Amino acid sequence: MNAADMLPASDTLWLALVVLGGSLAASLIFLGVLLGRLRETERRLDEKESRHETVLDRLQENEFRLRTIIESEPECVKLQAEDGTVLEINPAGLRLVDANQPADIIGRKIFSVVAPEYFDIYRENMRRVFAGEAVVYEFRAITLKNRVAWMETHAAPLRDARGNIYALLGITRDITEHKQAEEQARRHHTELARVARLSTMGEMATGIAHELNQPLSAIANFSRGCIRRLRAGGMSPQELIVPLEEVCEQAERAGDILRHVRDFVRKREPRLKSLDINQIVRAVVKFTEHEARHQCTHVRLNLDPLLPKVAADAIMIEQVIVNLVRNAIEAMTEVVPSRREIVIQTRLFDSDSVEVEVADTGPGIDGNLIDQVFDQFFTTKPEGVGMGLAISRSIIESHGGKIRAESSRDGGAILRFTLKISAQQSHRRERADSIHS
Amino acid sequence: MNEPTVFIVDDDQAVARSLRWLIESVRLRVENFGSAQAFIDGYDAARPGCLVLDVRMPGMSGLELQERLAAQRIHIPIIFITGHGDVQMAVRAVQAGAFDFVEKPFNDQDLLDRIQRAITRDAEWRDRDLQQARLRALFATLTPRETEVLELVVEGLSNKAVANALGLSAKTVEVHRAKVMEKMHARSLSDLVKMAMQRQG
Ligand SMILES: Nc1ncnc2c1ncn2[C@@H]1O[C@H](COP(=O)(O)OP(=O)(O)O)[C@@H](O)[C@H]1O
Ligand SMILES: [Mg+2]
Repeated sequence: MNAADMLPASDTLWLALVVLGGSLAASLIFLGVLLGRLRETERRLDEKESRHETVLDRLQENEFRLRTIIESEPECVKLQAEDGTVLEINPAGLRLVDANQPADIIGRKIFSVVAPEYFDIYRENMRRVFAGEAVVYEFRAITLKNRVAWMETHAAPLRDARGNIYALLGITRDITEHKQAEEQARRHHTELARVARLSTMGEMATGIAHELNQPLSAIANFSRGCIRRLRAGGMSPQELIVPLEEVCEQAERAGDILRHVRDFVRKREPRLKSLDINQIVRAVVKFTEHEARHQCTHVRLNLDPLLPKVAADAIMIEQVIVNLVRNAIEAMTEVVPSRREIVIQTRLFDSDSVEVEVADTGPGIDGNLIDQVFDQFFTTKPEGVGMGLAISRSIIESHGGKIRAESSRDGGAILRFTLKISAQQSHRRERADSIHS
Repeated sequence: MNEPTVFIVDDDQAVARSLRWLIESVRLRVENFGSAQAFIDGYDAARPGCLVLDVRMPGMSGLELQERLAAQRIHIPIIFITGHGDVQMAVRAVQAGAFDFVEKPFNDQDLLDRIQRAITRDAEWRDRDLQQARLRALFATLTPRETEVLELVVEGLSNKAVANALGLSAKTVEVHRAKVMEKMHARSLSDLVKMAMQRQG
């Protein structure tokens, strides 16, 4: 699962939950208020000690009916006192907190199932409800069976006939899965941002170039100054010691800068997992969709659905494909919009690798530049950085694959890279082969 | 004091020292300043030469220094040194009146040639300024009447026409005219015309 697939979907899901939750909460609050009124009437009748059996029966019958509705409600519904004591809870609620019977939780404090670090947040929200507010809050729960789960509660005050708040009505649902998805998406994004920082290092590359230019020009100036003096003659060798020492210092300075850059772009070891390359391609297409559409570029996929899984670091490979697609888009800005097309293909390359190809209908790559396009800082674009392909190559090579560029017969550029089929997969294939033979 | 000096303003000490070492190899005087502010504080506009300025500097940038100098009517020629990809900045600088720019990494001869040209240009500017100042001083010695006569004479009017225009006798005009020539150290009418034009230019 990746962010692009996940985020929009979970966003809509989220919205749906909120809307649903909202209306559910409203109706249940309504029910709750009714319940409160009924109780109040009951109490007053008791006080007066006038026993109008029929009325009471009807009331009880009503309350029973309401209770049935709540009982059959699929979400956890509970009533809590101001001090957090659970007054009532429906079967769905019992399941949510892993209670076997109502007695396990009714009469106990809700805090027995709230993670301690959320006590304060929970108390604050309770306080607000008893002050008359409807609130929504999240917390981490530790159920009666010590299961950890993320919960979300919509809570509202229950009032009696005089308008006094006597309980909190809460509807709680388990949002663990949603939370995990959210967390995963967040992590994916930071990772992606980190790798993206490396490949779209426009700022940084200019900075490095400027930085390196300093010691390099100093070296050139000192040396030229020495040569000129030597040519002119009448110079004692001693006089050259200081400037030559300066030259050495500046060379060291340049070396330091390069070391720094290397540390910065140091490729972390790829974390290889068994991945479906087609899924990665689709994710990238989503990432770049906006850019492509903006440039009127049509992206066509031609993916072999039967490919074995590859051993790859998803984020790194995504980054490579993003670079290739971006280059393709950038290469076609001079092409008439109706002819701007990118075709991404995946195919089996040989017995242990899979190939990904990104082809465009741009001008292609000049034959005698083909060897240079993968060099760091090689660019033919006015605003180019020249790091995209260099980084792509280092990523692919760290995966044990190869990346190549060529121009197609009808002009456009074709970039291809290979990735190793994951060990588990080739294993399975071998087994399959041996079974067959 | 009248020997031209190359003023280097660069925040990078090593680069500044190396420039100095290079430029001194052609027997030019060099002075280094570590920042634009240091230059503003330390520079005496009477000193001839040129300015070698790094476009990018922390604090006041090279371009800002250029603006500040222009605002103070200090016209020392500026050679900007620009880094990789700063061409736009250089263009802006030249539009704002910079004398020249070199892009790093530069050829030493190229830089030294540009510095020579800048120094020559500075000398010419100073010379022209001096001439103008001298002329202004000379003009200041004329009486109002002499000035009136001068204005008409350089317009090509004859003594007689000037006399008519000012309501004087031709004789008086002749006396004024001789006085003007003498005060202005002009040897001929065309000398005088030149001076009048320079004063305006
Ligand atoms: N699809 C392509 N079509 C034509 N030329 C390309 C293509 N992809 C890359 N190149 C060439 O390779 C160079 C280097 O690409 P890259 O490393 O991504 O850096 P940048 O995109 O910053 O120039 C580009 O400037 C361009 O000349
Ligand atoms: Mg690129």
